Amino acid sequence: MADMDADTAAHTEPSVEEEEPFFSNLDLLLFSLIVGLVVYWYMSRKKPEPIPEFKKLDTAAPAARETSFIEKMKKTGKNIIVFYGSQTGTGEEFANRLSKDAQRYGMKGMAADPEEYEMAELARLSQIENSLAIFCMATYGEGDPTDNAQDFYDWLQEIDDEDLSGLNYTVFALGNKTYEHYNAMGKYVDKRLEELGAKRIFDLGLGDDDGNLEEDFVSWREQFWPSVCEHFGVEASGDDSSIRQYELKEHTDLNMNKVYSGEMGRLKSFEVQKPPYDSKNPFLAPVTVNRKLNKAGDRHLMHVELDITGSKIRYDSGDHVAVFPTNDSAMVNKLGQILGVDLDVVISLNNLDEESNKKHPFPCPTTYRTALTHYLDISQPPPHQRPLRAGPGKALYHSWVQGACRNILAILEDMPSLRPPVDHLCELLPRLQARYYSIASSSKVHPDRISICAVVVEYETPTGRTNKGVATNWLKNKLVTDNGHKSTVPMFIRKSQFRLPFKTTNPVIMIGPGTGIAPFMGFIQERGWLKEQGKEVGETVLYFGCRYKNEDYIYQEELEEAEKKGVLTQLNIAFSRDQEQKVYVQHLLKNSKEHLWKLIHSDNAHIYVCGDAKNMAKDVQTALQDIAEELGGMTRTQATDYVKKLMTKGRYSQDVWT
Amino acid sequence: MTTKTKAEPKSSGVTNGGARIVVDGDDEVLSPTDLSEMLAEGTKDSHDKAENCQFVKDFLRGRIKRELFKRGTAALYFVYAAMEEEIEKNEDHPHIAPIYFPAELHRREALAQDLEYFYGEDWESQISLSAGTKPYVDRIHEVGQRDPVLLVAHSYTRYMGDLSGGQILKKVAQRALKLPSTGEGLNFYQFEGIHSQKGFKQLYRSRMNELELDAETKERIVGESNRAFSFNMMVFTELEEIGKTIKEEVQDAGLGHSHAEIMEGGDINKCPYYAAKMVASGNPTYACQLAMTLLTHPPCQWALAAWVALLAGFTAWYIL
Ligand SMILES: Cc1cc2nc3c(=O)[nH]c(=O)nc-3n(C[C@H](O)[C@H](O)[C@H](O)COP(=O)(O)OP(=O)(O)OC[C@H]3O[C@@H](n4cnc5c(N)ncnc54)[C@H](O)[C@@H]3O)c2cc1C
Ligand SMILES: NC(=O)c1ccc[n+]([C@@H]2O[C@H](COP(=O)([O-])OP(=O)(O)OC[C@H]3O[C@@H](n4cnc5c(N)ncnc54)[C@H](OP(=O)(O)O)[C@@H]3O)[C@@H](O)[C@H]2O)c1
Ligand code: HEM
Ligand SMILES: Cc1cc2nc3c(=O)[nH]c(=O)nc-3n(C[C@H](O)[C@H](O)[C@H](O)COP(=O)(O)O)c2cc1C
Repeated sequence: MADMDADTAAHTEPSVEEEEPFFSNLDLLLFSLIVGLVVYWYMSRKKPEPIPEFKKLDTAAPAARETSFIEKMKKTGKNIIVFYGSQTGTGEEFANRLSKDAQRYGMKGMAADPEEYEMAELARLSQIENSLAIFCMATYGEGDPTDNAQDFYDWLQEIDDEDLSGLNYTVFALGNKTYEHYNAMGKYVDKRLEELGAKRIFDLGLGDDDGNLEEDFVSWREQFWPSVCEHFGVEASGDDSSIRQYELKEHTDLNMNKVYSGEMGRLKSFEVQKPPYDSKNPFLAPVTVNRKLNKAGDRHLMHVELDITGSKIRYDSGDHVAVFPTNDSAMVNKLGQILGVDLDVVISLNNLDEESNKKHPFPCPTTYRTALTHYLDISQPPPHQRPLRAGPGKALYHSWVQGACRNILAILEDMPSLRPPVDHLCELLPRLQARYYSIASSSKVHPDRISICAVVVEYETPTGRTNKGVATNWLKNKLVTDNGHKSTVPMFIRKSQFRLPFKTTNPVIMIGPGTGIAPFMGFIQERGWLKEQGKEVGETVLYFGCRYKNEDYIYQEELEEAEKKGVLTQLNIAFSRDQEQKVYVQHLLKNSKEHLWKLIHSDNAHIYVCGDAKNMAKDVQTALQDIAEELGGMTRTQATDYVKKLMTKGRYSQDVWT
Repeated sequence: MTTKTKAEPKSSGVTNGGARIVVDGDDEVLSPTDLSEMLAEGTKDSHDKAENCQFVKDFLRGRIKRELFKRGTAALYFVYAAMEEEIEKNEDHPHIAPIYFPAELHRREALAQDLEYFYGEDWESQISLSAGTKPYVDRIHEVGQRDPVLLVAHSYTRYMGDLSGGQILKKVAQRALKLPSTGEGLNFYQFEGIHSQKGFKQLYRSRMNELELDAETKERIVGESNRAFSFNMMVFTELEEIGKTIKEEVQDAGLGHSHAEIMEGGDINKCPYYAAKMVASGNPTYACQLAMTLLTHPPCQWALAAWVALLAGFTAWYIL
């Protein structure tokens, strides 16, 4: 077995563990959106050219040997061959899908097991016009090939004088990031073929089975085909169905009871609520409190309480509550207007790839209005868009969309020539994701309610627009009673590992500036409750930070009360802007380093960090390493390891987001 | 990774070895006497062996017969039913309460669902406790009744393992057995109550380290964990032996369509790929056969099981 230590692997990754899947997902979806729009835009300017035909090239070939893939390709009129190195079938499945894809682009492909063919023939593939070899290669063991690719691998290693200069190729690698030799086989084939003179016509794709291999593959493939078409100078077959993943079906006579109106899983699950509640079946929790926390300043920090009475939902302090927001109806209407469509048409988008287990991009049948309100993200500008490799839209999209924080509405407003069909847009837009909040209450004290502490996101874009955060603005407007109706929030709980120590006597050190205080409000409630129960409770130290004492020192009364009662044994607050020089939580950590070190090193304290992942969490970690180095008499490396080990052993926990 | 008839790849200077549970040996700085570290360190060798025994290796390559997978699931059902029964009984025991996570960890229900999927509604009447699994189950009940602190070792060995390598096994099984992507038959590997396995393992370690234990008890827990590893190897060895008697076609997804084409209406033995593989993989069975012979003598079972499992693992590791 290879080195699969999950913890070690994770050390090389950003510490934003919680957030990562969400963002890579988003990246992917946004990327396909951009590519889709570019392709659409590009194609809509040009008349489709006739599709070249890849007819049988050589019908008079002599009876071919079974091991000659060239003969087989010639006989069957194929120009693309997809080799797979696969042990458990994923690579083979991808190869089959790629070979089927080819048809949609006016080419013909076949999947092939390298073990069954004479691979030295690769040097002669150029005999076939517009030919291309694709390799789907999985990695095993210690960066080894699969059994069926072993001979191919050996051959690649042995040949030195082979000239593969006529060979067009591309590689998609299948692997798993938790292994030390991540995608070694795919990378090797990609590099080696280039060394031997072959022409890489599209960049290596890296699939990570630890993340989402299917999505890695799909996004690679979506970029790959347009690039192949471009390379061979062919247009993808005529109409743009060739680049569509879903097929539109309009329903005219469907009973509205069969139409999704925002449910995540079961139809009508919002009308007839049934536990257990989860991401497919969220609970509609009434909002019982919604108040502004900050005393002044132009931001809006809020405390929201959700009533979970009767839901059978249980939570622990430190868990996350997920909420499903909806988009601003004015924005949805505007989209409908710009695109000139009736938003109340009932539709389904059905996957053209029948093998895919994702039948629809979002629950169908539904209306465009519901899709754009509940299921699709229409307000997020692409945050970290991967650079576009080629194509006419590169410069345009990169700075124009990302740089200027344009969301889809802004894009359509500023680019009147771009009017994609609304169903195509629905296919390309990313899914609207649930938003997570660290629960700011303790179930010991409040078993029937869940508190959220959040800051409303609102910012100016370079084009002079105001972008508003979807969930926080929606939450802000969830008044306790709305025209006599209770406001409700679709929510579910996600368990976390951010937990108070089991032994109440163990000290806890909580570090959470800004909204990072959220879970600690729950922790403090719980430690207070334990004290009231007569339990002996260890030291409870809080490091909080905000901008100004008189503006955003949130929960001031509660915190000072807890300190008075001795629940908080230390309340340290860094007001960053009340003086010339910035004062942050990490500065206060340094100020009380002796005591901290004793708590950590001798008294088994648990450290908790919550809030901003980008800078704060890293700076705090560095500060703690400095303290270990100084007071523990360690070298830098030892101090770094010391802190890492605290993490591995669950004594240094982070609940951070970007 | 390869069958031994083929040369090892020459490129990277790789070493043979198991998944490294990376814990620096000589770290004096941060409580090396914490139970989580003693366990990781003290079961390293057992882990290497477990991972490298033939059955596990075959499994990892996607060479697993459906029948064997079903039996393996049944064996796990008996093990987890016993373990969770004893944990429930000792739920308030000061050494169990901190690591009591029924919602997150407990597998009995999940295994029952899997068995229902594989065997149908009357699954309970179709499965039975095998000879290779019985000593494991007996031991769990024994410690649960006489020495509950040792349940920590059993629970560590299984749950932490399931949260680590288990996810790989799930994917392999899904592909090799062509199980539905919706997860039927694989509920065992799906921890619905755990969002981040890495994060949960950290929490679990912190809880083990909060247990108030003297040095001697910690050593005993490490010892028991190694024993739990041996019991697992016994289960694997038994499955491997049974596998040899089952004439089911190897569910080798790697052969896929091309294989199906060759084999249309044909005899599997004519398939050159299949034949070569049988020759190559049929080798390191001697140790296992020995194990089975001994296992049929109940008095020897117990004492020898650990040794045999060790030997089998070692032989497999050495030969391959
Ligand atoms: C595990 C976890 C716990 C969390 N806990 C909390 C919590 O307790 N409290 C809390 O308030 N939040 C918390 N969050 C964050 C929360 O989930 C939301 O991301 C946040 O509230 C914003 O959601 P939104 O829908 O309002 O904004 P969105 O519509 O999602 O907009 C946010 C996006 O806008 C962009 N953006 C924001 N500001 C700017 C700017 N100045 N310039 C350019 N672009 C910008 C960024 O791309 C950002 O990702 C947590 C997140 C996670 C993952
Ligand atoms: N929109 C922004 O400008 C901005 C900036 C930072 C974070 N964020 C994001 O907004 C989310 C919520 O922020 P919030 O409103 O709760 O926090 P906030 O009120 O913006 O910040 C809380 C306190 O943390 C301070 N701080 C800034 N950088 C820090 C660092 N590197 N280390 C320690 N403290 C630091 C701030 O000081 P100063 O503000 O005086 O420097 C402030 O006193 C976070 O997840 C974060 O990712 C946004
Ligand atoms: C099937 C082959 C196996 C593979 C691929 C495998 C893989 C792994 C991996 C990658 C880890 C991660 C180490 C870490 O997170 O620090 C791990 C840990 C672990 N494995 Fe396995 N494993 C296998 C078999 C087993 C078996 C058979 C057992 C016992 C029944 C087992 C028990 C454990 C335990 C207890 C840990 C936790 C170590 C710790 O963090 O203290 N594993 N395994
Ligand atoms: C036993 C085993 C070992 C693996 N070793 C590696 C490795 O060293 N590097 C890597 O990137 N991926 C590794 N993987 C991940 C596989 O390459 C990945 O799961 C891939 O999708 C399998 O494709 P296949 O189904 O076509 O065989 C390993 C998987 C297993 C089961």
